[in-house]
Amino acid sequence: MSGGSILIFILKIFAAVTIAILGIMAGLIYKGIDRKLAARLQSRVGPPVRQPFLDFFKLMIKENIVPENAIPWIFNGAPVLALVSTITILFYIPYGSIPALFENSGDLILIAYLLTIPAVALVTGGFSSGSTYASIGAQREMVLMISYELPLVTTIIVLGWRLNLAFPGLKVFSLAALSANPIWGIVGPLGFLGALLLLLTLAIVTPAELSIVPFDLPEAETELAGGILVEYSGRNLALFELSNAVKMIVMGSLTIILFFPYNLAPLLHLTGFLAYIVDILFFFFKLFIVIFFEATLIRVALARLKIDQASIAYLIILSTVGLSGLLLIAIDYII
Amino acid sequence: MSISTYKIPIGPIHPSLAEPMTFNFEISGERIQSVDLAPGDNHRGIEFMARNRNVVQIIYLAERICGICSASHPFAFCRAVENAAGIEVPPRAEYIRVIIAELERIHSHILWAGIAAEELGFNSVLYLSWKVREEVLDLLEMLTGNRINYGMYMVGGVRRDITEEHIPQIRKTLEYYKDAYQTLEDVFLKDPSIALRTKNVGIMTYEDALHLASVGPTARASGVKKDVRQDQPYSAYADMDIKAITPDIYSGEVNGDVFDRIIVRILEVFQSVQIIEHCIDNLPDGEILSEPKIIKLLGVLKKAKGEGVGRHEAPRGEVIHYVKLNESENPEVWKARAPTYNNLMSWLPMLQRQEVADIPIVVASIDPCIGCMDRVTLVDSNTSKEQVLTREELIKLSIEKTRRILR
Amino acid sequence: MDFLNAKDLLSFLQKNLKENIVESHLETRTAGIKKEEFHNIWLEVKREKFRDTVELLMTLQYPHIAIIAGNDNGETVDLVYLFSLFYGEKFKEISINIKVSLDREKPSIESITDLIPGAQTTEREIKEMFGVEFIGLPEMRNIFLPEDFPKDVFPFRKEQKGLDELVQKES
Repeated sequence: MSGGSILIFILKIFAAVTIAILGIMAGLIYKGIDRKLAARLQSRVGPPVRQPFLDFFKLMIKENIVPENAIPWIFNGAPVLALVSTITILFYIPYGSIPALFENSGDLILIAYLLTIPAVALVTGGFSSGSTYASIGAQREMVLMISYELPLVTTIIVLGWRLNLAFPGLKVFSLAALSANPIWGIVGPLGFLGALLLLLTLAIVTPAELSIVPFDLPEAETELAGGILVEYSGRNLALFELSNAVKMIVMGSLTIILFFPYNLAPLLHLTGFLAYIVDILFFFFKLFIVIFFEATLIRVALARLKIDQASIAYLIILSTVGLSGLLLIAIDYII
Repeated sequence: MSISTYKIPIGPIHPSLAEPMTFNFEISGERIQSVDLAPGDNHRGIEFMARNRNVVQIIYLAERICGICSASHPFAFCRAVENAAGIEVPPRAEYIRVIIAELERIHSHILWAGIAAEELGFNSVLYLSWKVREEVLDLLEMLTGNRINYGMYMVGGVRRDITEEHIPQIRKTLEYYKDAYQTLEDVFLKDPSIALRTKNVGIMTYEDALHLASVGPTARASGVKKDVRQDQPYSAYADMDIKAITPDIYSGEVNGDVFDRIIVRILEVFQSVQIIEHCIDNLPDGEILSEPKIIKLLGVLKKAKGEGVGRHEAPRGEVIHYVKLNESENPEVWKARAPTYNNLMSWLPMLQRQEVADIPIVVASIDPCIGCMDRVTLVDSNTSKEQVLTREELIKLSIEKTRRILR
Repeated sequence: MDFLNAKDLLSFLQKNLKENIVESHLETRTAGIKKEEFHNIWLEVKREKFRDTVELLMTLQYPHIAIIAGNDNGETVDLVYLFSLFYGEKFKEISINIKVSLDREKPSIESITDLIPGAQTTEREIKEMFGVEFIGLPEMRNIFLPEDFPKDVFPFRKEQKGLDELVQKES
């Protein structure tokens, strides 16, 4: 190995650590903002914005209890797995005009798979904790996962497919290519409508990914007393909370990159270091808007659904929405 | 195909239960196969404590049976004692009693509405409802000095008068609730999200309601037009024309589901506003106590002999107190019956074949008050399958009916 | 539904139960400013005929049972069943309070849970609090007392004075 490649390797590790830490911090800050906004919408005062940090540190010093009939290595491994897989996604996301740490031809496919890992980890952790509440929660999480996977994948595939039709030979599933060529620019009016439907699909999948009301069935506090997480405490619970916070950033970023990848710097004719700063600030602003609509507002405005209702909502209604988006884009291409 | 089930206990401590109460469920997938109730986690032996207290002391004990029904229990108890000893209550006191009881109904129903929303995971509505409820608590504090546990009722009348200065404030609050009624109607009766979770959930048929002796909004939602204020009016209620509220008034049909129970309670808030308005408009002049000196009153009660029953329609249903006086310091018997005591059995047909997700809202739908109903601890550590089946046989009639409907 | 007034109801009961009624009287109450009158019925029947009385009421309308009030007066255990009939219209409802005296040494009475399922809770409570045996009560578990509560101690009997013994042990 030459000296240059070692240097790049070390730089990449350094960058990865930085992204991981910044990602976690951003996740916690956005979570705090989300809680504060939700509280204001419900005419409460709400906790301070730094509350998720306080919660995290408090949980870290608490005792970590492993139930007697749990399987320790799975039980302890699940939260680590969940956190690692969500942080990995962060490396593939371009922030503003800063390119992603890793780039490849199939980023989006990889992200779709990585997104399922935290859910799978939750399910394994829930089942292995040996509690009835957690088992019911895990069953629900599985059903929910199977239900929202189809609309989510539809959205991703359609975007890549359309891009491929427009620019054959492009690495269509790489996020860089997707963010360089936003869908709105390459489709006609019908396709525009189709893309709007796809955006709606992704926006409604997000609450289930983040397991917030109305799709917080696996945790359902009033029914299952915390459900899937009921036996988790201390450090393990803190890790799950972290991975949830990071997931919020991931899902928000995904929406931004797929649908709103525009940057501010070219518009202001900025270059160099300043452009990076402006773009990343603009990126976080967009993230704030997206999270407000995809998480906070939905959570405040709706009641929790039942598992059959949630499943039908995803498998039938939302899949239909996603597929009609596909149909519209296809028709738009043909005519 | 045989269904393999597993057991899931809800309670004695659980986020969806405000008070300790144990349910043992047999679940298959997400469906409830059978349910076994094990109350008794919150027994305080209040009737036993009353053996060493005189009548006036028991009023305050009765007030503390439940924090929400803190006007209903003393109201019913005072009426029972008055019936037993033959004490006449001045008309003004009768009207003030009704005003306080109806204010309590408003606060209790809105409190329940908030809890129901929380059970559905709809926190925004919880905060909205409880914000609306604050107004009536402020009014109660102004009238009685306390937000709960009002200390208003006394054998032979009430302890505090409603003066001229109070009237404008009461009217202002009533206007507020007329506006708030619109909000509550929009939020609870027209919201698709709530309708989705409550329609056709936790059904109790008319027959079940009758056979299981249900009371209050629980019975009325199943179409039983039973309301003490209408059937056997007392105090100021006798001067009004009160009609028991059933859900067909609003929706034209009676399903006996959770949604119907919401309808009944929301409409009763409005009914209470009208009752209080009538009371203020026609408030008679005069004394508020038949015997202001408590020592003298106790002397009368000490010599009294007789039995009396006091009934009052509390927010949750009929409260009934039985008192037997036997020429002694303390009453010989005092039996208090809270509405949840009778509605307890209603859970069995309601919960049959429901989903796990429906447990909280169905349990909450009868507005349970475990503190009112409960007596002593019951530890039920090894409920065997056989026992559950025995219980099933016991209410076979009602279960079969429920199943037939759900099929 | 036919509404009977209290006087007719009482004479109907007297006609059917004849000498099995130990004591009966009408209670007259007034309500409201206009002092409108209504009546309640107090009845004491023989233990053997209690179930027949309830069955008799059921021929009129499905009776609503509120609760059973128990009283251990030192010689007998008295139960007062609080029933009501004819709900639905103003001043039409009649409270019927039926008293039954039971032998204090071995109190027993026929259960009415099979007639009115809603009576189960209150019968179970009286069973464990007063030691009254309800013949035909299908659910024998304690409802409010712990399962391991001594079988021969009945908390609401007159001889029970509360927690004294236990409190002494603690201190």
